[in-house]
Amino acid sequence: MQSLIARSAFVRSQAARVPVVRTFASSAARFQATPAEKPVLQKEFKIYRWNPDQPAEKPTLQSYTIDLNQCGPMILDALIKIKNEIDPTLTFRRSCREGICGSCAMNINGQNTLACLCRIERDSGKDSKIYPLPHMYIVKDLVPDLTLFYKQYKSIEPYLKNDNPPQGREFLQSQEDRRKLDGMYECILCACCSTSCPSYWWNQDVYLGPATLMAAYRWIADSRDTYKAERKEKLQNEMSLYRCHTIFNCARTCPKGLNPAQAIAKLKLELAAE
Amino acid sequence: MISSRALGLTPTFRQAVVAHKSSHSLILRTAVAKRGVQTQSLPPSAAEKILNEQRLKRPSSPHFTIYQPQLTWLGSIANRVTGAGLSVLMYGYCIGYLVAPETFASANVIELAASMPEAVKIAGKTILAAPFAFHSWNGIRHLGWDMTKFITLKGAYQSGYAVLAATAVSTVALVLM
Amino acid sequence: MSSAVVVRSLVNRNVASAVVRKSFRPLALQVRHAHQDTAYVPGGPIYKGTVNDPTTFPPPNRSHGSYHWAFERLLSASLIPMTAAAYVTSGTNYPVLDGILGMSLIVHSHIGFDSIVVDYLHKRKFPVLGPITSWTLRAVTVAALVGVYQFNTNDIGLTELIAKVWHA
Repeated sequence: MQSLIARSAFVRSQAARVPVVRTFASSAARFQATPAEKPVLQKEFKIYRWNPDQPAEKPTLQSYTIDLNQCGPMILDALIKIKNEIDPTLTFRRSCREGICGSCAMNINGQNTLACLCRIERDSGKDSKIYPLPHMYIVKDLVPDLTLFYKQYKSIEPYLKNDNPPQGREFLQSQEDRRKLDGMYECILCACCSTSCPSYWWNQDVYLGPATLMAAYRWIADSRDTYKAERKEKLQNEMSLYRCHTIFNCARTCPKGLNPAQAIAKLKLELAAE
Repeated sequence: MISSRALGLTPTFRQAVVAHKSSHSLILRTAVAKRGVQTQSLPPSAAEKILNEQRLKRPSSPHFTIYQPQLTWLGSIANRVTGAGLSVLMYGYCIGYLVAPETFASANVIELAASMPEAVKIAGKTILAAPFAFHSWNGIRHLGWDMTKFITLKGAYQSGYAVLAATAVSTVALVLM
Repeated sequence: MSSAVVVRSLVNRNVASAVVRKSFRPLALQVRHAHQDTAYVPGGPIYKGTVNDPTTFPPPNRSHGSYHWAFERLLSASLIPMTAAAYVTSGTNYPVLDGILGMSLIVHSHIGFDSIVVDYLHKRKFPVLGPITSWTLRAVTVAALVGVYQFNTNDIGLTELIAKVWHA
C-alpha cells in the first residue's frame, strides 16, 4: 500500500513537470490543448435499501445524486460510483460488467434488466429508481435470495440425458436440430424474466417460471436427449407449467433478447400433441 | 479518508472511521490489534437454523406497484377482468332466473331496458360491448399464440395494438347496432 | 427411467414428505408472524430441503395438465363459430344451438374463474378460504348451468334476450 502511494506521488510529480520531448505530438497547439471541462450533470438515483442488521426497519428508497459527466454510461457504473464515493454500505451483485454473468439483474425504472447493459438516461430532471428484482425475498438492498430459482432450475435436470451416448466419438447433431436450440441455450439465468412474470409473483413456490421452463424445453428440444417423455411427464400438472398465461412480460424484459414465451408455447403444444 | 490513505492504513480502518465517526474509543479498539469480539462455537447443524431465522426477517421486494406499465401485462390483466366481469353478469342473471324466474323473465328485462333514457342505454351498451369486444379479440390473439403464431415480442406488440384498435372499432359498431 | 434416478427421486420424496408432515399446520397464512417457528410455509422464505435439493413436482396428471389445456383451447376456439352462428340465426328458432352456446359460455367462464382461484387463492396458501372458494365456484357453476337451461327452455333464450335488450 505505501509503496503504491509513493509510486502515485512520483507519477504526479512527473506529470507536473512539462516533458521536454513528445515525439508523438502532432502539433504544438494539440500538445498544449487542455481537455474541455465538462459541465456538471447532476442526476438523482433513488435506490431501494434494506439492512438485515436492522430487520425491524421497513425498506426505504435512498436518494443519491452524482455527476453523470464523472461517471460511466451504464447504471452499474453509477452504482459502483455511489458505492465507491458516497455510501460503501450500498449492496448489490455484480461481476462481469458486460451482460454475460447475470449477477446485476435488478429492476431499473420499473423494468427488470441487467444494470451493466442499461444506459443511464442523461436527463438530469428525471430521477432513476432502482429496486431489486420484484417479489423476491431480499437479503440486503438490491440482493434478492435466488435459492428457490436455482432449486427449480435443478429440478428440470438441466443436462443431457442419454443412456447410449456414442462411444469414442462426437455426439453429432444435424444443423437443423442444432438450430432448434438457438434462442434458448443463450440464457444466462439472470432471473429477470421469472421475476417479471405476475404468475411467478403469485405462485413461485410451485410454478417454475419462464427461465426454468425455457431451460426445460431446451433439453426437450435437444435431438440428443432420450428422456423427453419423462421430462414432459413431470410438467403434466396444474402448477409447474400451466400457470403460464402468456402474459409476455418475460420476452419483453429479457436483457439477452430471448423469448421464453415462445419456448413455453411450443412446450404446451408438444405436451398437448402427445 | 485521504489522510488515512496517506498514512497507509487498511481499508478496514477507514471503514471503521466512516462508520463510527463519533465514537473514538471504538476506532482505537478496531485499529489496535486487539479483538473485543467474543466468538461462540456452534455445531455445523446450527447453520440452517440461523439461516432460517434470518430468512424469516427478509422483506419481499415490491412488484406490481413499481413495475413499468406495459402493454403485455396490462393487456393480460384486462383480459382477465373483462372476462370475469362478463361472466359474473351471466352467472348472476342465470342464477337470478333460477331463483326468481318471474322477476328475471325476459319480458321484464326488456321492459326495464326500454324504459331507460337514451344516454343510459348508450352507456350500458358501451359498458357491455367494450369488454366483450376486447375479450373476444384478445382471445383470438391468445389462440394464435397457443398455435405459436406471432409469438415474438414484435408480434405480441403488433397484435396487441391490433386488438386495441379492433376493440375500439367493434365497440362503436356494436353500440350503433 | 434408470435405477439411479429412481433411487434419487425416492430419497427426495422422503425428505420432502418428512418436511411436509412437520409443517402441516392448518392456518399457516402469515409468514411474518411465524417468528421463531422455522417451518416450511408455501411461498414463504424457507424452502424444503437444502439449497442443493431440487424442488419437487406434483404427481403427474394429464387431466390437470395437457388435457385441461387442450380442452380449454378447443372450447374457446369453438365459441367463435358458435357466437357467429347464434348471431345469424335466431335463438328461438334454433334453441339447441342457443342452449349449447349458453352452456359452453358457462363452462368457459368456470375454467376462467377456476384459474383465478388457483392463481390467487390456492389451497396450499389459503387452506380454508381456498377450498371454500373453489367449492362455492363449483356450486355456483352448477346453478348457472341449470339456470341457463331453464331460461333456454322456458323463456326466449340467451341470444334472443341480448338481441332484444340491445334494441329495446
